[in-house]
Amino acid sequence: MTPRIVQETLKSDVYRIAPEGRLDAVTVPAFEAVLTESLDAGRSKLVIDLAGVTYVSSSGLRALLSVRRRARSEGGDVVLCNMLPRVREIFEMVGFISLFKIFASVQEAERMFTDGVAV
Amino acid sequence: MADERTLTVPGRFESLAQISDFITQAARDAGLDEDGVFHVQMAVDEACSNVIEHAYGSGLAGSIDLTCAIDSGGDLRIDIRDHGRPFDPTEVPAPNFKNGAVDFDDVKIGGLGLFFMRKLMDEVAFQFDQTGNHLTMIKRVRK
Repeated sequence: MTPRIVQETLKSDVYRIAPEGRLDAVTVPAFEAVLTESLDAGRSKLVIDLAGVTYVSSSGLRALLSVRRRARSEGGDVVLCNMLPRVREIFEMVGFISLFKIFASVQEAERMFTDGVAV
Repeated sequence: MADERTLTVPGRFESLAQISDFITQAARDAGLDEDGVFHVQMAVDEACSNVIEHAYGSGLAGSIDLTCAIDSGGDLRIDIRDHGRPFDPTEVPAPNFKNGAVDFDDVKIGGLGLFFMRKLMDEVAFQFDQTGNHLTMIKRVRK
């Protein structure tokens, strides 16, 4: 099953990737493929907009962690925004709240990359 | 909710959405609040993902049989059976935390799913016999 994943260029080298629905064992391979494709193309400053994501399973967490590692090793980062309360609860359970930079909006996340402002 | 309801689906990732719908309805009918419904849904999703990935997979296919029932105390009991490779939870230690987050490098196969199941449910018990794995999870329903 291929989930809907919106991709958009924000500033010259900052990209927004917005998956929708559930990030579970079914949809994660397609999501991971989009992220890997982006990194392969040299786009390593990624804002993952989770506004439309209702659930993240352990496979989704694993994918986010692995792509974040690669992005950071290539001079970029993977930051998150617009997290729904349910998804936030999942991130809290595994301590990812302190691991990832998480923002309230796409604009704030983008500013971290463009102005180096960590909100 | 009727005393007991069952669902049998192929042990494939494509079945997860159907399993989720089935569990959501059973959890709501059992009287759980929306937090409780979400917790049960996630625990079952992780349990069934483990079955599909580890009990089955690599050329081995089979069904997943789910049963939801209200036990004598009014709590929700979920039984998940498969006919795949045996799973021994004692061989899977709980994940370690490093700097406040789960250390993914160190998580054993099935370990993170097991971590969520234990965190979200009140009781989790595994059995294995010649017919396969049998997982029982209980979620207390606050009256």
